Amino acid sequence: MSEAVMQLKNVKKTIGRKEIIKGLDFDIHAGEVFGFLGPNGAGKTTTIRMMVGLIEMTEGDVVIKGHSISREFKQAVRHVGAIVENPEMYPFLSGWKNLVHYARMMPGITEERIHEVVRLVGLENRIKEKAGKYSLGMRQRLGIAQALLHNPSVLILDEPTNGLDPSGIREIRAYIRKLAEEEGVAVIVSSHILSEMEMMCDRIGVIKNGELISIQMVHEAQQSEDVEVVFTASPVDQSAAALKELTGKDVEAGEETLTVQMTKEAIPDVVSGLVQKGIRIYGVNIHRSTLEDKFLDLIGEGAIE
Amino acid sequence: MSNFFQLVKNEWMKLLHQKSTWIMTVILAVLVIGAGILFKVDAAFTNGDVPSGDNWKQELQEQNEQLMADPTAEVEYPNYGNMEENQYRIDNDLAPTAYNGWDFVRDNLGLSALVGLFAIIAGAGIVANEFRWGTIKLLLIRPITRLKILLSKYVTVLTYALAMMVFLYVFSLITGAALFGLEGFSETYVYQQNGDYQNTGIFTFSLLKYGLSFIELTIMTTFAFMIAAIFRNTSLAIGLSIFLMMAGSSIIFFLIEKEWAKFILFANTNLNQFFEGSPIIPDLTLGFSITVLAVYYIVFLLLSWVFFTKRDVAGS
Repeated sequence: MSEAVMQLKNVKKTIGRKEIIKGLDFDIHAGEVFGFLGPNGAGKTTTIRMMVGLIEMTEGDVVIKGHSISREFKQAVRHVGAIVENPEMYPFLSGWKNLVHYARMMPGITEERIHEVVRLVGLENRIKEKAGKYSLGMRQRLGIAQALLHNPSVLILDEPTNGLDPSGIREIRAYIRKLAEEEGVAVIVSSHILSEMEMMCDRIGVIKNGELISIQMVHEAQQSEDVEVVFTASPVDQSAAALKELTGKDVEAGEETLTVQMTKEAIPDVVSGLVQKGIRIYGVNIHRSTLEDKFLDLIGEGAIE
Repeated sequence: MSNFFQLVKNEWMKLLHQKSTWIMTVILAVLVIGAGILFKVDAAFTNGDVPSGDNWKQELQEQNEQLMADPTAEVEYPNYGNMEENQYRIDNDLAPTAYNGWDFVRDNLGLSALVGLFAIIAGAGIVANEFRWGTIKLLLIRPITRLKILLSKYVTVLTYALAMMVFLYVFSLITGAALFGLEGFSETYVYQQNGDYQNTGIFTFSLLKYGLSFIELTIMTTFAFMIAAIFRNTSLAIGLSIFLMMAGSSIIFFLIEKEWAKFILFANTNLNQFFEGSPIIPDLTLGFSITVLAVYYIVFLLLSWVFFTKRDVAGS
């Protein structure tokens, strides 16, 4: 596995007497898209604010490229680009001037680089307009642009697809993947839209009540794992018996469908077996256990204490 | 250092792109021109006739004799009704001058309160607005210390206040010169300080008075800046600062008998009281007031710094 660009080490935050974040410990690597998933109030934004030094940690540390955010703020934060919560911009300045404003705050950002970033997020035609006239989607793009100005090693995006239309979401998703894969940027994305996360992340950390309860790999090889397969076949009774015989597993029979837990590899053999027995097959579907199911399993009911 | 200059440039860019900045400048310009026209049209404001010509000493002498006989007598030049001043002018050969551009500049010193108001609005807004807009989160995640960002904002507010003050002075002088005329920069100004009459060059004296008003304005602006840095709320900072600016002198009159009244900020903010007229509390001295102001000033800045740099930037 590649270099850990950002490390969270036993990060805790206590406000008053309440422990909001209860000791987070994980690494984020160069070239991966890490999803930060959790219900509202779980502590996603608080954690992101601690990652960029807006909030002090009560205990623990965040280390970015070897520099502690609490003790070496300047060296650590120069590798980070971020949108925290909404992409808020100065409404009375043009998109361009908003970018110039942030460019001036970091050494070595040329005008050419600003042009480049504007092209990347596709705002060339509207960049001279006041940011106050932008739609949420355009502000989101401008927010991503300001985060990318200084070629950060870590990009933190809080709800990046919020307010974008479907084609915009697809573009941003492709762009995030490209940044990670081609530029080796570590991207941290927080979201509550699960299907969205599943499509762009390599790993997903699930946070609940200030605790990291699970880290899931998204694109795991599932060849040997049992999946839920739904057959639509007739006659149902005969099919159920045949399926049980062929797979050696319990079959759940519905009115027209039969559900069985089996490996993906075994499907072709089972289908030809059924055909030989003269069973008419109308459909075979793999009902993959989606992230949403996993998420709901993990989070359970009454997620917020 | 170039880095700091870039930050100040950013702050000025934001200031100049906000409509309110320009509206305030226009209001100030309109008030100066308005006052000029009012003074021009209604002679009551410009103090009527002035004894001039070669025999002005004789005229003032006669007027003094009239007043000696009957203090309520109706005299030819009502604005020269002070016998001591008249005598001082006669003794020192200082002929009265007609109302001109310099007098207009002096009269407009009152508008420095308005500049103060605008500076308070700018000083409160420059910090608190970033919190209101939510942009503070993007501002503080750059490789720049919070202290440096705070300082760049403070320097911007002070230079803005100074620019407005210079604008008031220069624009008043130009308007005054255009409407009432101006006879060079070397006119002599006669004024009273602690009961004694003195004279000085009007140009340097008017600069001194505007400069001292700028100090008062700086203190109030710094106060607004501090409240904004602590509470991160524009309205609170503006409201509290304006209230104290307005109520300041009443507070002093209310507490004037107290031993510690002279340590109250507002007893000391008006440094002009040491140069013309007499101090609000008799045993105040210029040195004492400057010391008190310096202490308040440092405390304001320290509190701004501590709260701005130490406090978490939590959810809006």
